[in-house]
Amino acid sequence: MMNVENVYPKVQEIIADVLVIDAVDVSLKSRLIADLGAESIDFLDLVFQLEKEFSVKIPRGQLEKNARGTLTEEEFESGGVLTAEGMVALKNYLNEVPEEHFTPNLKVNEIPMLFTVETFCKLIIAAKAAQPAEAVTA
Amino acid sequence: MHFLFVDRILALTPGGVTQGIKHVTPDDYYLCLDEQNRRYFVPSLVGETVGQLAAWNVMMSHDFTKRPVAGIAERATLHRPVYVGETLQLEATLDALDDSAVQYHGTARVGDEVVFELTGALGPLLPMDDFIDVDVVRAQFDELNLNQPEALSDELLLRAPFGESSVDKLHHVNARVQFDRILEHEPGVCITAEKCITRAAPYFPDHFPKKPVLPMTILLECVMNLGRYFVDQLVFDKAYRVQCVQRIKMSDFVTPGAVLSATLKLKSQHDGELVLSCRVSNFGKRVCVLELVMVEVKEIA
Repeated sequence: MMNVENVYPKVQEIIADVLVIDAVDVSLKSRLIADLGAESIDFLDLVFQLEKEFSVKIPRGQLEKNARGTLTEEEFESGGVLTAEGMVALKNYLNEVPEEHFTPNLKVNEIPMLFTVETFCKLIIAAKAAQPAEAVTA
Repeated sequence: MHFLFVDRILALTPGGVTQGIKHVTPDDYYLCLDEQNRRYFVPSLVGETVGQLAAWNVMMSHDFTKRPVAGIAERATLHRPVYVGETLQLEATLDALDDSAVQYHGTARVGDEVVFELTGALGPLLPMDDFIDVDVVRAQFDELNLNQPEALSDELLLRAPFGESSVDKLHHVNARVQFDRILEHEPGVCITAEKCITRAAPYFPDHFPKKPVLPMTILLECVMNLGRYFVDQLVFDKAYRVQCVQRIKMSDFVTPGAVLSATLKLKSQHDGELVLSCRVSNFGKRVCVLELVMVEVKEIA
């Protein structure tokens, strides 16, 4: 059974590799942008490396889609800023992120600022679970 | 000076495979000389040509509303120089394409010989209009996309490079694309060099009219030449050549006025292979990281 604990060591290694930093500087709670200095291109690289390592497909924008849950785009955000409903959905999805990091009037394009190493572990687990059974066993 | 290298697109499947050619001729601007004074196309620009071929497909597939920009490449392998007189047969395959990014790989051949391979290329897509007028790009594509497969005749593709006797001494051979100066050098450990980026550089009019940004391949060529210099200064009984550049990541645009600082460090050395890691920054902000792999070629007499 895949869980955060057993996915984390490999995710930690890949993140360190992608960001050209030492693995010891990466912890489960590290925020990729604020703590580890990730740039937007690093997210593209990271998803590509995770897809290869874990043999999963992660459509671009999947994290934002997951965060939206069952809400429509209009329910989730208005004029690029999260609605109250959207903020609840985001907090629910990113429940590993401390409350104080969710600033009022958070913009959609600021969501990646919240992503932690654990967020990516959860993304892998979700992507693996979403794979058809035959693909997993193939 | 144009910075567009595909001479003709021979076949294009939107979102799939694109084939094209580029002739390397005395009229090419970006030429350099090998040890035997033979002129060859600047190696990184073979990769640029493959990348541009893929970009034509991407732009066409998005009806010229978006264009890819340099991002990440897993590996670019240089098998041998491509000399004046040779014709590159290019092929680029898009592995994944959506509204935000493209993933592709490609090759360049001379006859049956693979001279260059690019794997794991990944580029973000940005609005075309930020970089260049959409109508200009459309017109460039229409002119290239002639779909004339006869251009792939054996007679054309398998002819030999020009010999020394045919070299017109009046033709230019440009200096290698280089950093401006070396700032620090600890032989066998690391080297740091600087390059100031001027708007007068010949690649900016095409790359791009509305937003001039340094082509990643020009930066790679500078780093490869710095790596050659660094290794040449070591007391080895072997000569080394650049085999590939790997784990390339361009994280920011470099615009005129930038002052780039590149630091190369010897990362590992074993079994006739040297791996140099490189970080390029602009006023301290990372703009590119990569690794240069150099392999032993021959014993020095």
